[in-house]
Amino acid sequence: MNALFIIYGILNVAFVLAVSPLFMSIIKKVKAYTQGRKGPPLFQTYYGLLKLLKKEVIYSRNSSWIMRTTPYVNIAVMAVAALFVPLIFIPEPSSDIGNIILFLYLMALAKFFMALSGLDAGSTFGGMGSSREMTISAMAEPITIGVFASIAFVLKTLNLHEMFLNILKSNVIFADPVLVLASISIFIILIVETARIPVDNPETHLELTMVHEAMILEQSGRNLFLMEWSHAIKQLLFMGILINILFPWGMITAATFSASGLITSAIIFLIKATALSVIVGLFEASCAKSRFFRLPDLLILAFFFSLLTIIIEVFA
Amino acid sequence: MLSAFDPDIFIKVLINLILITAAIIILKRDIVSLVSTYVIQSFFLAMLALLLYVEERNIMLIYIALLTIASKVIIIPRFMNHIQKKLNIKRDIEYHYLTPKQSIIICVVIIMAVYVFLSRILAELALDKTVFFGATVGVSLTFMGMVAIFSRKQTITDIIGYLTMENGVLLFSLFLIKLPLIIEVLIIVDVIILTLLATMLAFGIDSTIEEFHTKLHPFKNGNVRPKQYNTAKARIYRRPAEVE
Repeated sequence: MNALFIIYGILNVAFVLAVSPLFMSIIKKVKAYTQGRKGPPLFQTYYGLLKLLKKEVIYSRNSSWIMRTTPYVNIAVMAVAALFVPLIFIPEPSSDIGNIILFLYLMALAKFFMALSGLDAGSTFGGMGSSREMTISAMAEPITIGVFASIAFVLKTLNLHEMFLNILKSNVIFADPVLVLASISIFIILIVETARIPVDNPETHLELTMVHEAMILEQSGRNLFLMEWSHAIKQLLFMGILINILFPWGMITAATFSASGLITSAIIFLIKATALSVIVGLFEASCAKSRFFRLPDLLILAFFFSLLTIIIEVFA
Repeated sequence: MLSAFDPDIFIKVLINLILITAAIIILKRDIVSLVSTYVIQSFFLAMLALLLYVEERNIMLIYIALLTIASKVIIIPRFMNHIQKKLNIKRDIEYHYLTPKQSIIICVVIIMAVYVFLSRILAELALDKTVFFGATVGVSLTFMGMVAIFSRKQTITDIIGYLTMENGVLLFSLFLIKLPLIIEVLIIVDVIILTLLATMLAFGIDSTIEEFHTKLHPFKNGNVRPKQYNTAKARIYRRPAEVE
């Protein structure tokens, strides 16, 4: 592990932590525009998070250490996962940081603790949310693994850094056209994992529909701040994977490392991520929350495309 | 940073996009978006023909692109939307034999089988990889259209399945067997006329073939009672419950 990798670690995690709430607001804004509203200001998510940080934490009398540790586990896991997805600068692939299987396990760990904390306080809503989240995960996890396996198969590596580097080095737009199919799958995974509309409604606390919100209903104050923040980070990481699989251009590598390059690549990433947020917002606005038992329809599409990716890669 | 424009890559991307639209046609349930997915698919086909022109410089490809845009992006969808509004059927939510999930799994098997069979047949021709990919997707698209036809109940969705099949044939012919322009024109005329006829029939059938059967045979299955009688009966039965 060289000095450049350490610089990468610090820069990438700091960048992810700093900009992740911005895209939550952009999606909300886009949705508001499509509904003919003005929507919240662009930095509203930051203000909301700051407000939460100032408030006191209240624990239920029935809650255990799980309630207390979950927010810290979540944010720690997300910060580590942020090392796996380079957004502005790809270092030379080093050891196991960037391993896609480890990345998925980190995500599963965060989800596991979140579901436990939902059950922990003993409130009915929390338990309901946890149960729903685990049902969705049971359906989504195999598909997620299948999708990432197909990408790993196409790009011939399990390391995310190496994947992006391979695409960047190929120097052609759509290095492997099959990745178009895989990217649709990742988009569906992004929607499912970040609890967006057809799967979950992030804007409501209605007991009939909420999944993610129900699990964090018992969290308060700075704990809620950490949970919300880690959710924003998770979203940005999946967005980062999708963007880098399709359009990694603009990112700098270890060979072209410079301070000015870092700034331009950060700006380019912000533009790309804003474009993707607009797409996510439009997608969310264009469909209604679907019934719980219709979710497999969405997931089977991701499965279909990941399977096709492998078939086409093998045969064609 | 990026290398120059390479039509071959964009051709492959477009073929992938066509596959995506085919999968959406099998899964989608509301008819307006089914028609617009078909429009997008046809548009991708036209773009594909234009890109192939850049590679092969065969003027016929431009005519095919223009014909496709005129007929499949403008005329047929307009007609379909018109009929859809008249019929006032918004969604197709009933299925024969296969649910969409099962159809999608079947499609994977179909695509794999087509790959295996075509690679046996086309092995001697020593084709370019893109040509082989395009031909395979063309044949698969035809079968996917067929899956849509026999798994959907509404007649209007069956027509879209049929049109998807025709798109598959066009895709196959773009890559492998170059048909003379006159035949392409005739195919498109056929498609337009068939769509016209089929939508008119759909208008007569109203929704599904099953319902049409009962309409045709009013005395079969003891279906003699007029509808009003049934509703009146239902009202009589409901009344005591309301009083309670």
